[in-house]
Amino acid sequence: MAPALSFEQAPPISVPYRFFLAAPCFGVLAGLLLAWSGGDALASRWAPQTLALVHLIALGFMLQAMGGALLQFIPVAVGGNVWRPRLVAAIVQPLLLMATLLLVAGWVFGNTAAFAAAVPLFVLAVGGLVAVVGDALWRTPASGMTLWTMRLASGGLAVTVVLGCLLAETLAHGLALPFVMLTDVHLAWGLGGWALMLLAGVSYHVVPMFQLTQPYPLWFARGFGPLLLALLLAWSGRLAIGDGAWSEAVAAGLWICASAYAAITLWLQHTRRRQVHDTTSRCFLAAMLSLLGLAAAGSAALMWPDVAADPRSAVSMGVLAFGGMFVSAITGMMYKILPFLNWLHLQRLGAPMSAVPNMKQMIPVAAMAGQFRLHVAAVALVLAAVWLPALARPAGIALAASFAWLGWNLLGAGRRYRAARVRILASVAVVRARAGQG
Amino acid sequence: MTTVIDGRRMEPPEPLERTLQALDELAEGDDLLLLLHCQPHPLYTLLEQRGCEWSDVLRADGTREVRISRQRG
Repeated sequence: MAPALSFEQAPPISVPYRFFLAAPCFGVLAGLLLAWSGGDALASRWAPQTLALVHLIALGFMLQAMGGALLQFIPVAVGGNVWRPRLVAAIVQPLLLMATLLLVAGWVFGNTAAFAAAVPLFVLAVGGLVAVVGDALWRTPASGMTLWTMRLASGGLAVTVVLGCLLAETLAHGLALPFVMLTDVHLAWGLGGWALMLLAGVSYHVVPMFQLTQPYPLWFARGFGPLLLALLLAWSGRLAIGDGAWSEAVAAGLWICASAYAAITLWLQHTRRRQVHDTTSRCFLAAMLSLLGLAAAGSAALMWPDVAADPRSAVSMGVLAFGGMFVSAITGMMYKILPFLNWLHLQRLGAPMSAVPNMKQMIPVAAMAGQFRLHVAAVALVLAAVWLPALARPAGIALAASFAWLGWNLLGAGRRYRAARVRILASVAVVRARAGQG
Repeated sequence: MTTVIDGRRMEPPEPLERTLQALDELAEGDDLLLLLHCQPHPLYTLLEQRGCEWSDVLRADGTREVRISRQRG
C-alpha cells in the first residue's frame, strides 16, 4: 500500500482563504497608487512610486496568494504535512501585511524609518513561511519534479528576501553596498528563483490536471529548475566579480530558459485533445504570451544598447512580468484552486456526493470571464501609459477595478462554500437523528 | 474483473467522483484502475477512510496508474 498521506492534516479552508482574500486588496491599492501618481509612476524603474507599485503587486498580491496557495497545495498535491497551518497563517499573514505596508509607506512618504521597521517583520514572516514550507517539502514521502521545483522555489524566496532586506537596510542606514547590481540580483531571484520557479513547479501538476493537456516532457521538467538555478547563481556572480560579456550571456540564457517554459506550456495547450476554453486557460495563455513578450524585450535590450538605455524599456518589462504574466497566472490558478478546495472540503463532511455543489457553481463563469477581460484591458492600458503618460490615471483606475472584481469573485466563492456547508451539515444531522430514532 | 477509469481527459473533480462511485459498486475480488496525469493525494485519504488498498505506478508516458481494491477481511 502507498504511504499514508495527509489530507486529514491539511489546513482548514480558512487558511488559503485569508491569504487569497487579502491579495486583491493590495492589487486595488496598486491601482489607486497609479491613479494618484499618474505618469510619474511609470517614468523610471527607480521612481519611489514605481518601487511602491511593484512591491504592492510582488509582496501584497503575489506573495500573499502564493504563500496561501503553498500552505494548501503542499498537502493536497505533494502529500506534505504543514506544521500547525492555522497558527502559521495567523502569524505570517498579518506580519507580511504590515511589512508590505511599511515598505510601501517608506517609498510613498519618503520615510526611511519605515524601511528599517519593515525588515524584521519580513524576516519573521518569510523566515517562518520558508521554515514551515521547507520542512513539509523535505519530509513528504512523495516524489516528482513538482516537489523538487517547489523546494528550489522556497530557497529562491529566502534568497530574494535576504537581498531585499539588505537593500531596505541600505535605504534606511546608507550601507555601502553596490545598490544597482544588488537590486538586479534581487529582482532576478524574486522573479526567476521564486515566482517563475514556483509557477513552473505548480504548472507541472495543475496544467495537465485542470487544462487537460499532456504532461510536461520529462526532460523539460527535470532540467528547467536546475538550469534556472545555475543561471541565477551565475547571475549573482556579478556581485563578486563584476560585469562582463559573460553576464550578458547569462542574461540571454535566463531569457531562453524562461521562454522555453512559456513555449512548452503554449504547445501543451495547443495540442490538447479536448479543448477547454475556460478562464484559467485564457489566464495562462495571457501569462505565457506576456512571458514571451518579456523575453523578447529583454533580449532586445541585450542586443541594442539604445533600447536598454531608455528607462521606459525596463518599466514596460516590469508591466509584462508583474501584470501580464504573474497576476494573470495567479488569477487563473485561484479560479481553479478555490472552487476545487470548496468541493474537497464539502466532500469530507460526509454527505452523499449529490449534495455537494458542482465545482463550476462556486464562481459564476461569466464573472470570471468578465474580470479576466478587464484585467487584460487594464494591463494593456498600463503598458500603453508607459509611452503615453496621459493614460496612467485611467489605467490605474482600470487596474483597481479589475482587482476589486477579482476580490468580489473570490469572496463569492467563500459565501457559497459557507452556505453549502451549513446546508450539508444540517442534512447530515437530520439523517443521523433519524438513524438514532430507528 | 478490473474496471478502468481513464481520468486523463476529465476535469477535476470528475475522476475522484467516478472513482468513489465505482468503489461503491465494486464486487468482491474486483479492482479499479484509475489513469491520471498526476498523483491524486486527496483521493488516497478518502480511500483510506473507506478501507481500500491501492498502489500507484508512473508509466514512461507520464501516466499515473492507480490500482485500487477493497481490503480483505
